[in-house]
Amino acid sequence: MAKLIFLFLTLIPILCTSFTPEKPSDQRILVLLDDFAVKSSHSLFFKSLQSRGFDLDFKLADDPKIALQRYGQYLYDALVLFSPTIERFGGSIDAAAILDFVDSGHDLIVAADNNASDLIREIATECGVDFDEDTSAVVVDHSGYAVSATEGDHTLIASDDFIKSDAPVLFQGIGHSLNPSNSLVLKVLSASPTAFSANPKSKLTSPPSLLGSSISLVSVIQARNNARILISGSLSMFSNRFFNSGVQKAGSPTKHDKSGNEQFFTELSKWVLHERGHLKAVNVQHHKVGETNEPSIYRINDDLEYSVEIYEWSGKSWEPYVADDVQVQFYMMSPYVLKTLSNDKKGHFFTSFKVPDVYGVFQFKVEYDRLGYTSLSLSKQIPVRPFRHNEYERFIPAAYPYYGAAFSMMAGFFVFSAVHLYNK
Amino acid sequence: MATNLAKFLLLLYTLSICNAVTIPTPISDSHRSAALQLFHGSSSSLEETYEALRVFEILALENKPDVSATACQNVVENLGSSSSLKDLFYALKVNGILKCKVDKGVFQDTASRLKASVNDANTLVDIYYTIGSLVLIKDQAPDVDVLLADADGTFHSIKALSQSDGRWRYSSDNPESSTYAAGLALEALAGVISLASSEIDQSRVNTVKSDILKLFDSIQKYGTDDGTFYFDDKFGGGREHEGSLSTTSSVVRGVTSFAAVTSGKIDLPGDKVLGLAKFFLGIGVPGSAKDFFNQVESLALLESKRQVLFGKIYNFITTYASNILFWYRVPIPLVLSLPATVYSLSKKDQLKVTVNTVLGSAAPPLTVKLIRAFHTDAKGSAVIEGKELQYDQSSGLHVLSVFPDNVDVGTYVFVFEIVLHDSGSENDYAIGGQIHVPIYVTGIVKVSNAEIAVLDSDIGSDETQKTLDLAGTGVVSLSANHLQKLRFSFQLTTPHGRAFKPRQVLLKLRHETKYEHIFVVRNTGKKFEIILDFLGLVDKFYYLSGRYDFELTVGDAVMENSFLRPLGHLELDLPESPEKAARLPPLPVDPYSRYEPKAEIAHLFRAPEKRPSQNVSLAFLILTLLPFIGFLVGLLRLGVNFKNFPSLAVPATYAILFQLGVAAVLLLYVLFWLKLDLFTTLKALGFLGAFLLFVGHRILSHLASTSAKLKSA
Repeated sequence: MAKLIFLFLTLIPILCTSFTPEKPSDQRILVLLDDFAVKSSHSLFFKSLQSRGFDLDFKLADDPKIALQRYGQYLYDALVLFSPTIERFGGSIDAAAILDFVDSGHDLIVAADNNASDLIREIATECGVDFDEDTSAVVVDHSGYAVSATEGDHTLIASDDFIKSDAPVLFQGIGHSLNPSNSLVLKVLSASPTAFSANPKSKLTSPPSLLGSSISLVSVIQARNNARILISGSLSMFSNRFFNSGVQKAGSPTKHDKSGNEQFFTELSKWVLHERGHLKAVNVQHHKVGETNEPSIYRINDDLEYSVEIYEWSGKSWEPYVADDVQVQFYMMSPYVLKTLSNDKKGHFFTSFKVPDVYGVFQFKVEYDRLGYTSLSLSKQIPVRPFRHNEYERFIPAAYPYYGAAFSMMAGFFVFSAVHLYNK
Repeated sequence: MATNLAKFLLLLYTLSICNAVTIPTPISDSHRSAALQLFHGSSSSLEETYEALRVFEILALENKPDVSATACQNVVENLGSSSSLKDLFYALKVNGILKCKVDKGVFQDTASRLKASVNDANTLVDIYYTIGSLVLIKDQAPDVDVLLADADGTFHSIKALSQSDGRWRYSSDNPESSTYAAGLALEALAGVISLASSEIDQSRVNTVKSDILKLFDSIQKYGTDDGTFYFDDKFGGGREHEGSLSTTSSVVRGVTSFAAVTSGKIDLPGDKVLGLAKFFLGIGVPGSAKDFFNQVESLALLESKRQVLFGKIYNFITTYASNILFWYRVPIPLVLSLPATVYSLSKKDQLKVTVNTVLGSAAPPLTVKLIRAFHTDAKGSAVIEGKELQYDQSSGLHVLSVFPDNVDVGTYVFVFEIVLHDSGSENDYAIGGQIHVPIYVTGIVKVSNAEIAVLDSDIGSDETQKTLDLAGTGVVSLSANHLQKLRFSFQLTTPHGRAFKPRQVLLKLRHETKYEHIFVVRNTGKKFEIILDFLGLVDKFYYLSGRYDFELTVGDAVMENSFLRPLGHLELDLPESPEKAARLPPLPVDPYSRYEPKAEIAHLFRAPEKRPSQNVSLAFLILTLLPFIGFLVGLLRLGVNFKNFPSLAVPATYAILFQLGVAAVLLLYVLFWLKLDLFTTLKALGFLGAFLLFVGHRILSHLASTSAKLKSA
């Protein structure tokens, strides 16, 4: 018993440091490998994660003891699948368990390769990423390859088709296409227009199924629950060899001493593991102009002020979020008012507007979906009533003739009644 | 596990080069810089310190971090105290490299303590550390007595753990055997032999030798036959699972140390030793210190044991002088590598080959022969046969200065063979047989005779035919209807004037609505030609008329001028789509659009009703008041009087009250208009009404009775 208590007490700090809304970065990461040699051949990537404070747990993918959850609690905040050839995971993990893991808001990094198994392909397909069905196909680019003295088949691709980079990123592996009906998945690194996905050893007799810049090399998904997924068609992209290798894109005179891979994946992993681009909204307030208390109901045509505070997670602390495109909707079935919020650069976003002259149950809605940020979805319900009977305008000049007629009639009645009664 | 591992290694191998044969390159400068990054010198344990020092020693690094002061202090502490066997072992290993100042007495004490515990040790790991430590003491303090009295017994107790397949168990109560343990056992056995006070029974040594051969029977290789071999453990054996690298490295350590202390020949096949070297080199630059150490040390053992072991076994030369050549028994692998496997005909590159030992040092005098070279598509016919490469003394490269004329662009396999000048040393080196190396010969392919034409029939009229210079940037504009055809043709020729067939010849037509259609252009002889018969394609084009841009992609691995080039545009006039035609597939929507801010919406309030101006209202107010004034004037003109007003006090009071009541009701209406709401008004009106009813009844009945009296009178 005492032992159990001791165990529990030692576990408390571990349990407390796990993923919380207050500290959105992931803490514990399960890394599933085909072989421990990957741990050493990809050590720079893992080291960069560890140096940023992540607790990596390396396991063989077919280890019978691996589990994602125990007693209904997830043991990890993120999962790295560096096991492209695995046909069946050990333990209780299968594709459904991994998808449940993502569905409960956890993050996933998947790296596939030339001989990616059906299991890995299935997981990717569930995330909206379809790897080339031809299992022998790899991405070949005869114009955008990386110049190499030893690799002549142009499967080593130098891709610079992404945001702001100094050096191209080296890629060697399989391509995928994005499911057009999935709006959550985004290309991060796409192939050049000359690339195609085919078996490099066979002749092209029919047009390849994946061609040109529609081939995605690395894709990310941010699910609706803000779980983030990174899918790469190449495991070697993460390797020390590619991190350290120099790169020269064919046809380009500049030779970079170091490929962009390390920077690319450092930044990308920061995003996937919620060190970047995580927003939180607090302190949603609304009130009539000139008042401070939140009313329980608004009247039509009231002037109101709406404000919200939005902060961005910088990896260590919450920093004020600065943007000029946060919008609030005053919504009943459809937005009646949609207004961009002003901000004071300290995370405070505010605006004011007049309540529409339609009564009913409205909502203040902030639906903030921006590329690279977690989506914010705030809604607050508020009823709007019409004027009370005594709130209408009373002394309308246009109605004076009617009033005058009524009152002169009344005065006439008074005079007439007196005259009628007492005249003789 | 093992299958996965094999798969993974296959993967590693396919990564390192995606084609037929791996050509590992020897340890180079990238290893040295990686070593400096991996081993900072601030190692926490003696084991890590030793690994760092050993790597620095093997790679002969100059600007290595100096750790000798702290490490020596650590060594002395561990030697003096009764630390664990493992720490003691590594302390001695570190001392072996750093040569710290250690008291001879300390060695003496340690040696006697270890000797006493040799027989108590019952697990293989303990024996390994104990024997290993004793061997190290022997090297570092030659005059300390470390010889084992009961060497035969120790030898036997280790041998007792061996299994029939050449693997070893960790302890007698653990039934699982492991290859990693076999390496430890062999090293321990080698130690026992060197520590034996009397010669070990030769027959026992011979059984161990056959065990080694059995162990090599269990060697693994990759699925593809590239001559790479490694050892792998099927079971963890209760210990933490050892990867294939540490397992193989352990075996290499065991076998080399065993071979070094025994006489007689162990028939290790040279190709397997070379395969092991290839395995270690194939790993590339490992990212973890442990793997790095295992790789570098194993390679060093495979290569330079002559120098390293010479010192160790110096004492034995006197004993086994008859077998003075024993250290040649494990052949030294030589690695043939090419600085480049992509050769450009346009740059007139030379084919260069280097032959090194695994650690990158120079090989003995030898000649590299290019036995033959053949195109991958025509394996039967060789383009080069039996050529010797010239050795360039200054650069240490074997060079084929000029490619023969019949080597055109394409992918070739070059078959090399190493021939040692000193034929007597063939057993000392593992050179492998024929080495197949894929070579890409690239060049600039000439594109010519590009023609594009819209044809009315198959014969074609020259009027619409246009020629294009594909090397330039010119574009054409054409128009066609669905009864016509588009013919596009061009020629590709290699630098040697032969027809060239690139892998990627794609013609892409893109409609202005972004629908794309891709066609593979096929060739007949030199000429590439595609004829697009629009009548047959209308369905595929979804009956979309309009402007189609078309572009050509030509690419191949050996083509230096692969290109993607817009050719021009085509105005296509297609018939209206019939009803049952396939619907247009939806175009992928721009995924970024949902991240844009939405357009602002302002509510449209109901417009206030139109009202006349205030003056008009006031004018009409006055108009409405006029009848009242007319009424008053009329009354005055009629001469009204109040003679009927009751003269008695009581009826007069009622009359006044009644008139006041009527006035109050009317005033109430005014107040209702000014400020009161309906409820207050009705309440007040209720009271006033009751009051009025009462006083009204009184005054009216009074007036009625006086008028009745008047009438009757």
